[in-house]
Amino acid sequence: MQYLLLIYNNESAMLSRPAEEAKQSMAAYMAYAETMRKAGVLVGGQRLRPTNDATTVRAANGKTSVLNGPFAETREQLGGYFLIDAPDLDEALAWAKRCPGAATGSIEVRPVWS
Amino acid sequence: MQVLLLMYHDEKAMQKLAREEHGRLHGAFMAYVEALKKAGVLVANNGLKPTSAAKTVQKDAVLDGPFAETKEQLAGYFLLEVPNIEAAHAWAKRHPTVGYGAIEVRPVWPH
Repeated sequence: MQYLLLIYNNESAMLSRPAEEAKQSMAAYMAYAETMRKAGVLVGGQRLRPTNDATTVRAANGKTSVLNGPFAETREQLGGYFLIDAPDLDEALAWAKRCPGAATGSIEVRPVWS
Repeated sequence: MQVLLLMYHDEKAMQKLAREEHGRLHGAFMAYVEALKKAGVLVANNGLKPTSAAKTVQKDAVLDGPFAETKEQLAGYFLLEVPNIEAAHAWAKRHPTVGYGAIEVRPVWPH
C-alpha cells in the first residue's frame, strides 16, 4: 500500500537558517531517503520551491484566475513529500516519525488510492 | 523543469456529488491524463484518500486528521515535466479541478 508523507515546516525559519545548519538538514534528508531506498520502501519524493514561487489557479463559474501564493496561508508550509510503499499504516507512521521534518514540523501521512 | 500541481477541493461536496456528475468528472480526469501523456509531460500522479484517513506526526506524537483544517482539502497531485512555468500554468488551467476547487502550482527543486 502506498502512503504520501507530506512535510510541513516553518518555511521562513528554514530559509533563514545559517548555511551550516541547512547543510546538516540536507544531509539528514539524504540519509533518510537512502535508508528508505535500502529498505525498499521509497517510491518517489520531491523538494518543493518555497511558497513565494507558488501560484494558485481557479476557474469557478468559468472565469479563470491565477493568483500568486499558495492555496492557503498556514502556520507551516508544504516543503516536500515522500511517496512510500509500506505494508500498513503503522509502518508508514514509523517512517514518518524518522523523517527529519518531524522534529521541527509536521508530517501528514495520507494513504494513496491504488 | 518539474512542477507539482496540487489539487484542492471541498471533500464533503465531492462525496455528495450525484452519480452522473461523478461520472462526468471521472471522464474529464481520464481525458486530462490522456492529454498529459500524449504531450509527454506527465511524470507521476496520485489521488489521495480523504483526510478522514489522514494522520499527522509531530515529534513522537501521532494525531488524527490532516496537518491543517482548511476549507478545501488536498486530494492529489500531478508531477509534470514542462519547458517553463507558463506551460505549467497552461496545464493547470486545463485541470478539471479548477472548475470547482483550486490547483496550486509549485516548482520542484532540481535533484
